Amino acid sequence: MTAPHARSGHPASCAEFTALSRRGFLRTAALGGAALTTSAAFGTAVVETSYAAPRPASSVMVVLSMRGAVDGMSLVVPHGDPTYYTARPRIAIPASQLLVRDGFFGLHPAMTPLLPLWNSGRMAAVHATGLAVPNRSHFSAMEAVEDADPGSSARVGWLNRLIGRETPVHPLRAVQVGATVPPASLVGPVPSMALSSIDAVRLAGHDKWDTQHRRPGSMRTMWSGVAGPLGTAARTAFTAVDDFRPVQATSAAPGNGASYPKGDLSAALAAAARTIRGDVGAEVITIDHGDWDHHSGLGTLAWGSMQAMTKELAAALAAFFTDLGPAAAKVTVVTISEFGRRTRENASFGLDHGHGNAMLLLGAGVKGGYYGTWTPLRGTSDDDLAVTTDYRSVLAEVVTRRLGASAARVFPGFSPEPVGAVTSL
Amino acid sequence: MTALKPAVPSAATLHALSRFSYGWTPTLGREITKAGGFGRWFDAQLAAGSDDAFTRTSATWWTSVNASPAVLWRRHESEVEPLWQADANYQRWVLARRIHSPLQVREVMTELWEHHFHVTSEGSGTALFRADYGRQIRARALGRFADLLHTAITHPAMGVYLDNASSTAKAPNENLGRELLELHTVGVGAYTEADVKDSARILTGYRVDTWNTWKVSYDRDSHAVGRVRVLDFTDANSSTDGRPTTRRYLDHLARHPRTAEMVARKLATRFVVDAPPAALVRRLAGVYLAHDTAIVPVLRALLASPEFKAARGKKVRTPTDDVVATYRALGVRITRPRHDESAANAILWQCGSLGSQPFAWPRPDGLPDQASAWATAPRFLASLDAHYSMCGGWWPKKNATYRTPASWLPLTAKRRSVRFDQLVDHLSRTLTGRPAGRKLQRVARQATGCRPAERISRTHPLVKWNMHRLLTVFLDSPTHMSR
Repeated sequence: MTAPHARSGHPASCAEFTALSRRGFLRTAALGGAALTTSAAFGTAVVETSYAAPRPASSVMVVLSMRGAVDGMSLVVPHGDPTYYTARPRIAIPASQLLVRDGFFGLHPAMTPLLPLWNSGRMAAVHATGLAVPNRSHFSAMEAVEDADPGSSARVGWLNRLIGRETPVHPLRAVQVGATVPPASLVGPVPSMALSSIDAVRLAGHDKWDTQHRRPGSMRTMWSGVAGPLGTAARTAFTAVDDFRPVQATSAAPGNGASYPKGDLSAALAAAARTIRGDVGAEVITIDHGDWDHHSGLGTLAWGSMQAMTKELAAALAAFFTDLGPAAAKVTVVTISEFGRRTRENASFGLDHGHGNAMLLLGAGVKGGYYGTWTPLRGTSDDDLAVTTDYRSVLAEVVTRRLGASAARVFPGFSPEPVGAVTSL
Repeated sequence: MTALKPAVPSAATLHALSRFSYGWTPTLGREITKAGGFGRWFDAQLAAGSDDAFTRTSATWWTSVNASPAVLWRRHESEVEPLWQADANYQRWVLARRIHSPLQVREVMTELWEHHFHVTSEGSGTALFRADYGRQIRARALGRFADLLHTAITHPAMGVYLDNASSTAKAPNENLGRELLELHTVGVGAYTEADVKDSARILTGYRVDTWNTWKVSYDRDSHAVGRVRVLDFTDANSSTDGRPTTRRYLDHLARHPRTAEMVARKLATRFVVDAPPAALVRRLAGVYLAHDTAIVPVLRALLASPEFKAARGKKVRTPTDDVVATYRALGVRITRPRHDESAANAILWQCGSLGSQPFAWPRPDGLPDQASAWATAPRFLASLDAHYSMCGGWWPKKNATYRTPASWLPLTAKRRSVRFDQLVDHLSRTLTGRPAGRKLQRVARQATGCRPAERISRTHPLVKWNMHRLLTVFLDSPTHMSR
C-alpha cells in the first residue's frame, strides 16, 4: 500500500539542488550531515558507514531455502531402493512415472518444466546431504544450517561471512527477496538488504513536492549517530534507496516471454531477476520458500501438497531462467532445507522429521546429473536417510568456484569434500 | 489539550508503559496520574478482569469473531466468507483491541501467549477455531501457565494446526508431540526422539473431523494406550480415555525447571532485552516455580529488577506494535467497519506492508521478538511510509477519525499563535510523552524549513499544507520506533 500524495507544497524549487542528481545529492547530504551532526550539535561518535558505489557482480548465487524440511526422496526419488516403496505404501511415486530416470534415481513427475535445464546439463541433484549429526528441530536445525559454524556461539551466518570477505561493503551485495525478515544465513555484522517488493524501496515524503530534499536531509540528521540495529537499518535504507534505482528503472514485465505461475515464489524470483538485470552489485540473493513441513497431506501424484508445490517450484524456476535471458550465464541457484524427512509414512499421508535430504543446483557452472552416496534405507519406524555428504561441501563448491571465495572463511573449521557438481566455467 | 507544555511522566514510568502498553497517549498519562503512579495503575490493570466495553462492542464488528465453527464452515462453503477472511477478521479485532482497549496489560500478555502457543492465521482449517482459541488464551493470560498450556495443547485450533487432530494410535503424527516439548515447554536439547514418540502417543485421541464436519471429539479408539515415559514423567496410560494422562503430563511439563526457564526467558525477552542475562532468567524461573506457574508474580519480579530499569529504549517495536502505536500517538479513533477500506479492516494491510500481520508468522515458533528480525532496511522504509500516510490522514481514511492539522496547535482565546520551537516541544510531549531535545528541534526545522522563533498560527502555510511533514518527524524517530 502506498500513501496517496500530498497536496501541492509551498516552497519554490531550488535550482542548485534540482541540478544535482539525486544520488549525488544524497551522498553529499550523508557526508555533510555526519560532519555537522558530530561537530556542531551532539558530539556523539560517528557511526556512519561510508558505502562505496555498488560494483557489478560477475557471478550471482541464488540460495533458495525450502522451509519446513522438504522431503528430498519425493523430489529426487531413489526408485532403486526397494525399501522406499515398502515404507511408503500410499505416497511413493511409481518408478514408471519418474522423469530422467537412471538405474537408481529419477525426478518427481511435476518437474517437467525443468527438463530443458536438465537435458542441457545445467541441473544437478545431490542426494543424502545435510548436517553431520541429526537435528530434528526445525528451528535449531535451520540455525545450525545457516550459521554453518558449529561450536561458535556468534550469531553470524555463512552468507554474512561471504559478503564480508572484501571491503568496502555495500548493503546491496546480498539481497533477501520476498520477505523482510532476514534468514539466519544473512545475519551478522555486514549489512544486507531485504525487499518485500521492488517498488517498496523508496523514502516516503521525498516526492515531487519535496523540491528542497528536506525529507532525506532531515531523516539523515535524525538517524545519524544513532547506535544499535535501528540506526544501522536506517542508514542501510538510505543507501539502498539511492543505489537501487537502476533496478527500479528496469521493466517490471518478465523478460523473454517468461511466464511465471501464480504465487509468492514466482513473485520473489521475478523480483530477483529484475535485481540481477539492474546489476547493482548483488552477488547473493536469498529466497525463503515454504511451507514444506509435510506432516500431513503430502499426498500422492493425484492429490496433496507435494505435487502442487513441486509443480509450482519447477515452473517458477524455469520461468526465472527464461526471464534472466543472457544474464542467466552468471546465475547459479542452490536449494537448501533444514533436514529431510522420515523414510516411513505416517497416518496422515505425511512424513515426520528425518535427516538426509536432496539439494538441487541449477544454472551457471553446474555440471548436470545425479550426485551423492546412497546408504540403503531400512524402513523401520524411525529410519532416516543417512547423510553421506555434508551440505557445506555442496555450498563450498558454489562459493569457491563461482564467487571465488575461500571455503575456510565461509565455513570455518570445515574441510569440504569434492562433490564435482560445479565447475568454474 | 491547550496547555503549551503538557505534563509528561517520569522516564521510569514512560519506560514501564512502553513495555506494558501499546504506546503512549495523553489519556494513558492521565490514567496513571489518577491512579497515583505506574505501580497502582499496573495493580488496577491486573485486578480489572478480562471484560471491557470496547472489547465487547468491537467483537460485534465482524460476524466471524462470534460465529461457531459450524457457521463459519457453512459461510466458507457457500462463499459468503472464505476461511482467510475469518482469520483476517480475528486479526483485525485483536488490533482494534490493542489500540483502544483500556486493558492494555491484558492485551500485551495475550499477544505474548498467542505467540508462545502460536497457531498461524493462514486461512486454513484453523480459522474455524482461531477466535475462540484467542479468547481462551486471553481469559487466562494473567493466570497460571499450567492452565494456559492445557488449554492451548488440547484446543482444536492447535490440534488442527499441528496435525494432532488426525494422529492415531497406529501411526502417530509427531508434529504436536514434538513442538509441545521444543517450543511450548522444556526446549530443544532436553528430550530425545523416544520422548517425542511417547509425547505424541499421549496426545492421541483429541480428534477433529477435518475438512468434513469439523466436529471436535475425543476418540478412545485412536488413543494409544500403554506405559509412556517422557523425560521424568511416567504413566501407565492404561485407559482408552487418555485425557487424565494428558492433564498429568501437561501439569508435569508446566512445572518442569526447563519450562520455568523457557517461560522466564520469553517474558524477559519481551519486557527487558533481546538477550536477557542468565541471572535474571534464573531468578524469574525461581519465582515461577515458587508460585506454582502463576504469571503475575513473575511480572512483578521482572518490573522490580535492575535489569528492567537498565533496559530503557532497548527493544525495537515490531511492525504491528508500530502500527498500533501510531494510531494511538496520532489519536486516530477507529469505528465499526463498513467497507474493505475502513480503517478497522485496512489496518491489517498496513501491518502487512511493514512485514508482519498478527499471527501470520508462518512457523509454529511464533513471531520473533528480536531486533535482528525487525530492524531491517525495508521494514524501516515501510514504517516511514505508514507514518507518513497516517500523518496526512490519507489512508486508511474510512470509519476513522483523524485530528485536523490545526487541532495540534496549543491555541487559546488569548494565545493565537505559538513559536515553532514551542510547537515542536508541545507535539513531542503529546505524541511521545517526552520533551523535544535539541536534535529533534533541528530535524523539525530541517523537515519544514521553519525557523525556531517563527510564529505558527492556524493560517500558517505549515498548518495549511505541511502539518504531516512535521507530525511524521516524531513518529519517524528512534523514540517511536523503539520501546
